[in-house]
Amino acid sequence: MKDTDPKITLENLLRFKRAERPPPEFWARFESEIRAKQLAAIVVRRPWWDGIFAAVYRNHLPFGAAAALALTWVGVHYVGAPSQAERAAPARTAESPAPGNVPAPIAQVAASPVLVQDKADIDAPRTAPSRQALAAAIPSHITQAPAASQSESISGMPFADGIAASLADFRATDSDLAKRDVFGSDREFEAAVATARQPAAEPLAQVDPSGERLERLLAPALPAYSSSGSRSLVSDRMKQKASDDRMYESMDRYGAGGMSLEFRF
Amino acid sequence: MNASKALEKTLVASPERKLEADADLAVVRQVQAGDVAAFDRLIGKYRERVLGIVYNMTSNREDAADLAQDAFIKAFQSIHRFQGQSSFFTWLYRIAVNSTLSHLRKNRLRSFFSLESIREDDPVSRELVDALTDKTGVGRESFVRELQEKLNDAMQKLSIKHRTVVTLFEIDGLSHQEIAEVMDCSVGTVRSRLHYAKQLLQAELQPFLR
Repeated sequence: MKDTDPKITLENLLRFKRAERPPPEFWARFESEIRAKQLAAIVVRRPWWDGIFAAVYRNHLPFGAAAALALTWVGVHYVGAPSQAERAAPARTAESPAPGNVPAPIAQVAASPVLVQDKADIDAPRTAPSRQALAAAIPSHITQAPAASQSESISGMPFADGIAASLADFRATDSDLAKRDVFGSDREFEAAVATARQPAAEPLAQVDPSGERLERLLAPALPAYSSSGSRSLVSDRMKQKASDDRMYESMDRYGAGGMSLEFRF
Repeated sequence: MNASKALEKTLVASPERKLEADADLAVVRQVQAGDVAAFDRLIGKYRERVLGIVYNMTSNREDAADLAQDAFIKAFQSIHRFQGQSSFFTWLYRIAVNSTLSHLRKNRLRSFFSLESIREDDPVSRELVDALTDKTGVGRESFVRELQEKLNDAMQKLSIKHRTVVTLFEIDGLSHQEIAEVMDCSVGTVRSRLHYAKQLLQAELQPFLR
């Protein structure tokens, strides 16, 4: 470095970085790449929410007001509006029983073209039945409930209709039980249970104490039950075990180490 | 007199910049009206400066090219939101700086330096190299390379925000006010960051200073 040169400051050094520039051929590639990206940005469809944000920006709508408006719209369209089933159910309860008196959603399912098509495939040789005939032909409480409950005066509630339909279905499938009450009577239940009951017996009373098996099983625990041959062996083993236990116990309680003597309780 | 002018230039944008901003706004209005080709003029006008900022923040020319392109594309995509409350170049710089900051935060652990070549025809760099060394030929080239690496190392030792402030002020020549707009902070914050960053750089580049 030369000593006579002017002062070099940090700003001078940093200005040196301004001279770091790419070669001219770099810009040709840069141009082509940015053009391709720009074209892609034009062609690719922007997401739908981008339009909402653009509208908010353009019209200077406050975000809070925009959010409240959006929530209200969602509430009105999705939460507040009754579904088709909800719309159909009150209409049915208000009017007199419709032909078939089928609950609205079930009726829709029964009358849907998909189900009709499926049923038509099953009954291919026959002629295509009408929707009412098909609905009546399906063996379930869905279609049988109204016929069974027509005579009864139902409160008009959907749950009552469902219970009545289940009951009618049950009666149709099992006529014997259906003649009785739904759950039978207490006396019938007691009588049925009493036959199944056995007199209480003490399990140990049924055991024969003189049996050979009993002797063999109880021998290790009770020396009195052991045979004369094995009795001495067992008693010897027990004595040995007891003496070992006593010895270990004494070793645990009294400990001697160096100049100290320990007692444990 | 000169000192006060220089101080004023560092604080607020120059009148030339304001004229420039008005001209840019006219082009932006054309683009907003549907003249997509008018955006090419803005790209041609600002591509070197945007690339320079991103390059000096990343010290990687490949990343810098990608980030500069992305900044232009983002500006193009959201130009319908540009209201003209700030100048176009401030808005574009903000997009570029924010994209670069998020890129640097994502790739904090990954740092590959690939440096641009120094333009020998640049009078500032030539004078500086002449002042620093009397070598010619291979010795001069290696010295320039060494100086370039030292400068980049020193810049990379700064935090991202300090590096950004130094880049915008010392290399790109923005005023404090403009940097505050670009970085969305106060002018005082810009000054304190600049002061701190210069202290660190001074310590790092001490062998080259005299």
